[in-house]
Amino acid sequence: MSTNGTEMVKDAIYQACLNLDEQKWDDWLGQCDDGFEYSVTAYSPEIGKKMKYLGLDHKELKDYFDLLPKHNTDHSPLRRHATVYSVKVGDDGKTAEAVTSFLITQEMFDGVNAPLDTGENHLFVVGKYHDKLNIENGQAVFTERETRIHTRRLDKGSHWVF
Amino acid sequence: MPARNREQWEKTPDLKRGEWVDSRIYSDEEIFEEELQKIWKKAWIPLMHESELPEPFDFRTAIIAREPVIVVRGPDNEIRAFLNVCPHRGMAVDRRPAGSFLTGEPSGNAKHMTCMFHGWQFDMKGNCVEIPREQAGYQGRVTKQGQGLRRLRCETKFGGIVWVCLDDKVDCDVEGWAAGSLDCIRKSLDEEPLEIFHYHKAIIDCNYKLWHDTNSEFYHDYMHYHNRITGFDDGYFARKCAAFDNGHVNVGTFTVNYGEYEVADDRGELTFPHLPPNNWYMVDMFPGVNVNLRGSAVRMDLMTPLSANKVMIEFRGLGLKSDSDEVREKRIQHHNTIWGPFGRNLHEDLVGIAGQGVTMMPNSDPRRILHGRHEGLYIHDEVGMRHFYETWGKWMDRLPSDPSKKYEEGVVAGPEMPPARGIKSFPGKVAAE
Repeated sequence: MSTNGTEMVKDAIYQACLNLDEQKWDDWLGQCDDGFEYSVTAYSPEIGKKMKYLGLDHKELKDYFDLLPKHNTDHSPLRRHATVYSVKVGDDGKTAEAVTSFLITQEMFDGVNAPLDTGENHLFVVGKYHDKLNIENGQAVFTERETRIHTRRLDKGSHWVF
Repeated sequence: MPARNREQWEKTPDLKRGEWVDSRIYSDEEIFEEELQKIWKKAWIPLMHESELPEPFDFRTAIIAREPVIVVRGPDNEIRAFLNVCPHRGMAVDRRPAGSFLTGEPSGNAKHMTCMFHGWQFDMKGNCVEIPREQAGYQGRVTKQGQGLRRLRCETKFGGIVWVCLDDKVDCDVEGWAAGSLDCIRKSLDEEPLEIFHYHKAIIDCNYKLWHDTNSEFYHDYMHYHNRITGFDDGYFARKCAAFDNGHVNVGTFTVNYGEYEVADDRGELTFPHLPPNNWYMVDMFPGVNVNLRGSAVRMDLMTPLSANKVMIEFRGLGLKSDSDEVREKRIQHHNTIWGPFGRNLHEDLVGIAGQGVTMMPNSDPRRILHGRHEGLYIHDEVGMRHFYETWGKWMDRLPSDPSKKYEEGVVAGPEMPPARGIKSFPGKVAAE
């Protein structure tokens, strides 16, 4: 376990990537403060506006995840390749902000033409996580994540958060 | 019935006209090319919302039937459309999806459309205003006066939707084209200016009509958990479909009980003007447009057919321009819960048509696709598709149930549809009613 704030933040972000890759939704929520706010945003040069594609708090995220088994979903797994670009720890050492660049690939399974596509990986989404965290009890806890994506062509979309 | 052998599988169904179509209309490349010529180049096609060009000199580009189109807002605030083709050597006049001509480009001056290739410049009315070294090169044989852009018919109508028609000779305007199909939401759309807040797109390997079909029938609500579990009440089943001239249909309103939805809140307070709280209208316009007013937000799907088995669908969300930040945030949330790229329904709908695309690839065996539900025009009645394909058959001069045969006048099952009328100038195929 890391002892300095910057490393704690990086550990938390990379662990979040692993949890999201493995669809361990509860484990990911467990890394988040009860007041956690999550959003997916994108800037559209087509319409000249910053858009919000998804905005949920901790409870709403929990409800969202609990409903997933009831929806028909493309089950092609999404996996992240992420690099933490910057971490700024507050002067008091209790808060931090971080920017992480990520690529999300999709391993094709059942969403289009399974006999042909299954096993293929393709680039699905490009973006950056803009995270805010509290550092407490030797670990970093997410208080806010804005997932800013650069992708507006999302094809079938996804029921899985990025 | 047990699984069928080939003969049984291919047998013409014991159904009436309109109640089924041949899947070749979704998969045949020759038919697709013909559709671009006979339908997409003749119809009024909505391309965008006026709020995507909020300021003078703003522009947006689009495609209709492989023809590149540029839409600009002039200094007089008029929105005009042109082919996005330089008359010199066919370069796209502008290469971007959107932007402003207020500032100059490396090849040209501010407040002009400039083809970067050789610096030909055009004003916002499409007049050619600059040909570099015009006299030296053309000696009067080619002049600015004769080299304007190709102007396209363009109207801003029904809540600020920008409509373009490639055919100068089509004898109806947008009002006539809509044929009353949008009247159910007209006052709501026109009461005050609207503004776009959402855009994303999908390119799906399927025929464009499969998306229009999905938007036209509600029977697929069985696919959606919320609609199936909490939406199927008496009000839902009382929604009635109506067919209009030119192949359009709409689906009447009912009051959605958002309180019964999980992860959704009531949107009554933010319901659009002139619409009862939480009401919901849907309008599907030939050949591939969907305008959906669900209480507090408008969704507009515009399609660009790319091939027999590929379509681009652009999804837009609209609110009221007068929205406060707080209200707008709520509208966006309402929109995204169902229709956003993470929304509970849109993803399922798109997975559905992608699956249809798999079974209807070009040159796949023809199959029968059923459009035969009759429920007295109520919500799960498939009148929308029957009406669309009767109109399609007339425009294409092909029978939807056997597209190798010419269209013949006939009675489509169900007493509910107006004649499959179309624009008067459609050459010899669609008579004026």
